[in-house]
Amino acid sequence: MDPPVYYSKAEFIETDTGNKVSRRATIAGPQNIILGGKTIIASGAIIRGDLRRSGTGHAVVISLGRYCLVGEGCIMRPPYKTYRGAFNYYPMKIGDHVHIGANSVVEAATIGNHVNIGKNCVIGKFTIIKDCAKIADNTIIPPNTVVPALALFSGSPGRFVEDLPESTQEVVESYTKQYYTRFQPLER
Amino acid sequence: MIPSVLYHCPCLSTSPVPPPPHLPSSSYCFHPLYTLFFCEECDAIRCNRCVSVEVSTYYCPNCLFEVPSASVRAEKNRCARNCFMCPICRNTLTVVASDPPDADAGRLSVPVSTVGEPPFYLYCNHCRWDSAEVGITFEKPTGLAAQLQKHEDSAPDSLEFDRLKEHFEPFIRSSLAASSAHPASTVHPSSAAHSHHLYSSSITAAASAALARDIPGVSKYTPLSRSTSGRGGRDRSVNKDEMPEYRSRMDITTASTIGTGGGEADVEFMKHIETINEVASLEQRWGSSWVTSLQTRDLKPLRIPLHSKRSKRCPVCTHILIKPEQKAQSVRYKIKLVAANYLPAITVALPHMYPTTETVKRALAKSSAAANDRLNAALHPGETYAFHLALTNPLYDPIQVRLATPRVHATNTSTANQEKSRRPPFGVSLPTSPFTVAAFAEAWEYDEDEDMYWTDEEDLGGGGGGGAKSVRDRDARTKSRTKAVGVLEKRANTTIVGGEIIIGKEARGRLMFIMLVQYTYRSDDPVPSESNEGEGNEVKGNTGKGPETKTFEFYTVVDLGEIEG
Repeated sequence: MDPPVYYSKAEFIETDTGNKVSRRATIAGPQNIILGGKTIIASGAIIRGDLRRSGTGHAVVISLGRYCLVGEGCIMRPPYKTYRGAFNYYPMKIGDHVHIGANSVVEAATIGNHVNIGKNCVIGKFTIIKDCAKIADNTIIPPNTVVPALALFSGSPGRFVEDLPESTQEVVESYTKQYYTRFQPLER
Repeated sequence: MIPSVLYHCPCLSTSPVPPPPHLPSSSYCFHPLYTLFFCEECDAIRCNRCVSVEVSTYYCPNCLFEVPSASVRAEKNRCARNCFMCPICRNTLTVVASDPPDADAGRLSVPVSTVGEPPFYLYCNHCRWDSAEVGITFEKPTGLAAQLQKHEDSAPDSLEFDRLKEHFEPFIRSSLAASSAHPASTVHPSSAAHSHHLYSSSITAAASAALARDIPGVSKYTPLSRSTSGRGGRDRSVNKDEMPEYRSRMDITTASTIGTGGGEADVEFMKHIETINEVASLEQRWGSSWVTSLQTRDLKPLRIPLHSKRSKRCPVCTHILIKPEQKAQSVRYKIKLVAANYLPAITVALPHMYPTTETVKRALAKSSAAANDRLNAALHPGETYAFHLALTNPLYDPIQVRLATPRVHATNTSTANQEKSRRPPFGVSLPTSPFTVAAFAEAWEYDEDEDMYWTDEEDLGGGGGGGAKSVRDRDARTKSRTKAVGVLEKRANTTIVGGEIIIGKEARGRLMFIMLVQYTYRSDDPVPSESNEGEGNEVKGNTGKGPETKTFEFYTVVDLGEIEG
């Protein structure tokens, strides 16, 4: 029912697995980033795959699942800390059907499946967000916070507001799938 | 303002007709479809307001530990591990170690342990509060709640509460014994739970328990009837003396001096405040179990309250509607009867609000950011607008749908007439003849072919045509049929019907109307003899040819947004 969301065909690169990545997004260290397929990276997003764990060898820094959306102007940066005197970055893992609203900054350690993060949010370092959770627009989640499954968090600092309905998983899944189908190229 | 459709839950009310939708007081009975449940047994919609709820698991929202229900009470409903809340901003606190001993002292600093130097304290990442401010430090970074237990247990409030519990213990124990002594009693089902309120004292409770045990037949005798009778009053006056008088540990008039708030101490403090931050806000104080000091600097870290997973039951037949999996962080359910699996999902759209491909094209040329935003096309009085309703069938059988806009308020009392004059006068035309919505087929779920998604029924045979092409086709088609009231489009298990709304010249306020949705489906099970119990809006219809059909009806509220004058 919802109308298509158009993008200009010249701006986006589509991969074999259906990922659509804007040419106006900054993807640093692409060899350390995994996109699950059918994931959209909108224009102006910054994904810091170059901030990897020290040491040699291949390292996955940021992994995103299927049907994800990284909104306009989002910053995805792996969390870091100094542990036993050594500074290090730690990997960020994001599940399937995760939408991140425009202009949010994400430094989470783990984000589960079917998570919805609003616009203008700040997700602090090493935050763990469980499945089907929702972060309202303009929320600040302080570092090391745990957001339990099916919880709505909002405010500054982000606090538990309410439990989400039982059918959240289906609602989010159909919304993210539909969003991908609605995201249509428009030739000029 | 995005147009929406809300579903009505009758909530056990006897009249299935919903209240007027534009009154703020009616909002309680209209819900989004995905929050509703459906009881198969009663064949009725249920919502969170009317289901009965029971706790199935307790867990800590921070460490996600599943707390056995046996220890929940002993731990006072809060996490008994390492989870604390900041008393200032209610953020979760982290344990931090003290700074290591001066590294500049010449010798190489060797990390003593992996966890850092004692003493440890709690620190808030958000507002930078730390527990050293209130004199709380820890020897080791684990089992913090146990380390704080001493403080908690020695607090005057806690001691007083324990004393009260001790005082009432024999009374509670005997009344429990009494209620368990006649479990087979077929009186009111809730009387067992409330029986300790009914007994006027422990003595009567013990006595009736003994009677029930020793003399057969006495258990049928309800204590309720006795305690409400005149004799009950005399019993109570006698028994008052049997109950020993409670003596508090401490004289209440001196309590304010020990930091529990109230009385002279607070007045003295309030006289001398300089900044508002010195006074703890109500929000900072009411999360605490006990009365706390009025001063911000006295606030202590709080153990995080536990959360629960709940199962839900139908209020009429007590069948389970929602039963979560035991594991706290699992989002799966053993039983999940949600309305979205039974009722057609309805969405509404005002086509004039959507940008056309042409405007998007022009906007994309400038900047991509806001190109797809909804146009801020308001509804104006004196105009006629078309709207689209998309109905999606979740059932495995096709359904026949009939829409109607009942005039439910005109028949109401005189106040309704006053209401009516204030209501925005508008006329709604909907397709009156029934139409079909095709069955849901699992295959469509997996078919992610974009061609399929936007094509019309007519196009299905022809196939072919790129996604973008068919989109444009559709746009053109809907534009040419803007005035049409009727079925516009069918694809997969969704049917889009067009309606029209004529807004009167005087119309103001919210454009909302009630829509009755009736749908007929093929029923596999034989017609239940005892259905129609309660408020199930079931109308049985037998067409007489082949399979049994059933009709279900429900009310919805269509909200098209604000009329701007």
